[in-house]
Amino acid sequence: MKLGFRGKIYLGIFFLLLVFGVVIFFVVSWITRGALLEENRRRGASIAVNLAARVAEPLLAADFLRMKNLVDETVLLSDDIYYAFVMDRDGRVLVHTFSDGFPVELKNANRLKPGEKISVRLLDTGKVMVNDYAVPVLIGGDRFGTVRIGLLRIRIEQATDRLLLSVFLATAFIVILAAFVGAMLARPVTRRIRILRDSTEQVLRGNLDVHTAPLLKKNCWQIMNCHNEDCPAHGDLRHRCWYLAGTMCPYCVEGDYARKISSCQKCPVYRRCSGDEIQSLAESFDSMTLSLKTNLTELQEAQKRLQEQGQLLRIILDATPDFVCLQDRDSVYLAANRAFCRLVGRSEKEIIGLTCRDLYSPRLAEKFAAEDREIIRTGKTLVKENRIRRNGELRWLHVMKIPVRNAEGRIIGLLCSSRDITEFKRVQQQLVQAQKMETVGQLTAGIAHEINTPLGIILGYAQLLLEDLQPGSQMHADLEIIERQAKVCRRIVADLLAFSRHTESRTGLVDINQAVEEVVTVLEHTFGLDRITIRRDYGEEIPPLRGDREKIKQVFINLLNNARDAIGKDGTITVATRFDPETGRVCAFVADTGGGIAPENLDRIFDPFYTTKPVDKGTGLGLSVSFGIIKEHGGTIEAESPPSRATRKTIGVEATGTAFILHFPPAVPEGQDDPRGQSAVDRRDA
Amino acid sequence: MAKCMHLLAALTLLLTLACNQEEPPLKVDLSRREKTVVAPDADAITYAYLPQYSHTVSYRRHHRLVAYLARKTGLKIRQIFPDTFDEHMQMVGQGKIDISYSNPFIYVKIAHRYGARAFCRIVEADGRRDFRGQIICRADNSAIHSIADCRGKRWIAVDPGSAGGYLYPLGLFMVSGIMPADFREIAFSPGPGGKQEKVVLAVYAGKYDIGTIREGTLEVVRDKVNIGEIRVVASTPRYPGWVYAARAGLTPAVVEKIKNAMLSLDYDKAEDRRILAAASMRGILPCEDSEFDSVRSLARRVGIDLER
Repeated sequence: MKLGFRGKIYLGIFFLLLVFGVVIFFVVSWITRGALLEENRRRGASIAVNLAARVAEPLLAADFLRMKNLVDETVLLSDDIYYAFVMDRDGRVLVHTFSDGFPVELKNANRLKPGEKISVRLLDTGKVMVNDYAVPVLIGGDRFGTVRIGLLRIRIEQATDRLLLSVFLATAFIVILAAFVGAMLARPVTRRIRILRDSTEQVLRGNLDVHTAPLLKKNCWQIMNCHNEDCPAHGDLRHRCWYLAGTMCPYCVEGDYARKISSCQKCPVYRRCSGDEIQSLAESFDSMTLSLKTNLTELQEAQKRLQEQGQLLRIILDATPDFVCLQDRDSVYLAANRAFCRLVGRSEKEIIGLTCRDLYSPRLAEKFAAEDREIIRTGKTLVKENRIRRNGELRWLHVMKIPVRNAEGRIIGLLCSSRDITEFKRVQQQLVQAQKMETVGQLTAGIAHEINTPLGIILGYAQLLLEDLQPGSQMHADLEIIERQAKVCRRIVADLLAFSRHTESRTGLVDINQAVEEVVTVLEHTFGLDRITIRRDYGEEIPPLRGDREKIKQVFINLLNNARDAIGKDGTITVATRFDPETGRVCAFVADTGGGIAPENLDRIFDPFYTTKPVDKGTGLGLSVSFGIIKEHGGTIEAESPPSRATRKTIGVEATGTAFILHFPPAVPEGQDDPRGQSAVDRRDA
Repeated sequence: MAKCMHLLAALTLLLTLACNQEEPPLKVDLSRREKTVVAPDADAITYAYLPQYSHTVSYRRHHRLVAYLARKTGLKIRQIFPDTFDEHMQMVGQGKIDISYSNPFIYVKIAHRYGARAFCRIVEADGRRDFRGQIICRADNSAIHSIADCRGKRWIAVDPGSAGGYLYPLGLFMVSGIMPADFREIAFSPGPGGKQEKVVLAVYAGKYDIGTIREGTLEVVRDKVNIGEIRVVASTPRYPGWVYAARAGLTPAVVEKIKNAMLSLDYDKAEDRRILAAASMRGILPCEDSEFDSVRSLARRVGIDLER
């Protein structure tokens, strides 16, 4: 059976007391027995010396009677004086106390050496033990004889026995008393240690809300008469103030236990409330668990934040379309994002631990490995473009391989980030095309300008000839064809000029409702011929725009013409304006009930010369021109076909064709920068 | 636990052994007995010092002188110790004391009674040939300042045979008009030996108002009492000092040998000085019986019968 702490203490106390008792018993017995023997020896010596002194006179006077009386009186002094006798200087017995002759052997049993003052010898008579004392009778330094007395040991032995019994009983009593007192003292100690152990078990089970230290009779705020309830120690019955950081006592040193304890030890609260080592242990344990609990909570929160940040980082990594992976110095993959996993067609778990050789063909893998080694050797970032075939489609990747360094600056791996720039490449190609188109446009504008004059002359002369000819004649009909085609040519030329010419802007405040209304008024009648009605839906309190009124009107003309061309006959065009106070932007809508635009063509309608109309109906430059004007005004234009639910809700009609949505920045006073201009530009660039 | 018990047992054994350190007893058979017989002293010249002091003082004072005389004369000389003045005188008369060293009062008695004859007298330690007695009282006794104040007081004397301690002071009292009957009490030192000291101690203890001692006794008891608390009331006139006498019948040649040996002691010799100083004397001089007539005269005056 295993002993508990209390059992060990009890057993320890018992054993110690037993040892103590045994040692005390023997030591006290030894000392007292020695003291008794010494006392007996001194007593015997004293009696013998006294007798020697008293016997000197009668010895000199050879007064045997007096000597006899003296030895008899000496024996009568105490019942343990067994005998006494006097010998002369020649060793002859002069007087003695034995009644029936003198024992022969006794004479020489204890011989006194010359110069010796006393000789004590233990004699065993066979019946009793006797301490024999021999003392010289000295007169004027001369030894005249010897006095011998015998003291029975029985008395001293009886006294010793009584003493041993007393010592034994006293020791036993002390041992029992000490065991009782020890047990009484050990009990609170073991109880407090048990509480401490229970608390430790609670902590091990995860319960940090333990109370181990005992409650105090008076707490710090009561001792210091403190009413500061903001102090963390105020009202805390379980924790001692010197363990708590941030206490507000004016005598307190700021900081935690380690910083303030030396100051606290001088405080009356500490002197009064600090207990013994076990209480201090319990109090520090409580404070430790409190600190642990606080730290654990903070740690958990930090871990949670870290986890969230990790997840966020993971989300960002996974959300990014770039192919990101991390490799160590040996090109072994350590991490990969979702895009990369998709690219190589494996999960991240499968990728981690693999190398390029496991993912790519031997040729590619060797190439990549060589690149990796070079980066790790030189520490330089590698930037390159790779062309790959994915799902049978050729894709362009922009690849960056960046060396990753640890805190000491040593390269521990490399980060590979690849981006699919196929679209970018396409836009780049478009840009090249657009630049080519611009060059063509400039060429066209020059040609158109040159053609415009002779074309005007052709048209003028054709119209003059038509006036001269009879309508209905072949000539007239031919001339009408010439006139009509010449007009088509003029329109083409006008459009080409409008597209290519960079006219000077005349900016000013423009009331968009008024500008739109001017356009609608002009076109309404013409459109009415094709039973196309224009529905007006102008917003109220729309702030004026800053821009070129005529150019803005040109945009709406283009859009309305485009809508009419989309409807053909019988339809409705809705023109609406709105002001969004939240964004501060002015919106304009032009929606028709036409056939709409095929989705695949929707992102090309603003391209120059793109048209779905018959050859004689459009040049494909209207929307491009409009796009340019809106951009020039810091706005945007977008097309929805069919219109979105939001658009339909905004303009309040069920437009089925196409809706153009224009956004304009509101006008700002002259000379003042438009705070939204930068964002508008940003969006336009985007 | 077992280890603890072993430890305890070992400790107990060790302590038990440590406690028994006494020497082993000597076996003695007390059953074998014998009669004790004291052998008689061998024949020798006996030398006795009148027991005015204790025997041990007598021994200490005279054993060197006795040894000297034996060595010087080639005689066997043994110091013996009579207990009382009377015993001393009787032993002179019985022939047990051959050489008596006594005060002049005892001498005149033994000379008168037993025919002893003085052959030497001593020079006192202070160099005087004679000595005197002293009357003492406690220093704080305000009732006694003079001899006249001693009337009606309790008097302790050394011995009726004492010269300095009784005879001389008695003569002084009587000359001063104080008769023995005028004292409230006259007592003598009890017991054998040490009589001079006992007088001082009795006065010191306050048992008696006055005491009479020979001059020099206070120095002897200096180690027993504070002599500052003792006051000398008066001193007697000086009388002849102590005397060496040979018993009647002692061979004159022996007496002569001893006398010569005594006279040859020279205080200026270191060895002799030690002998003389121990005996509290400065030297020894030859003397005649007639030199003690003043003492005989004093005894008659105070009404002492030398026969008694």
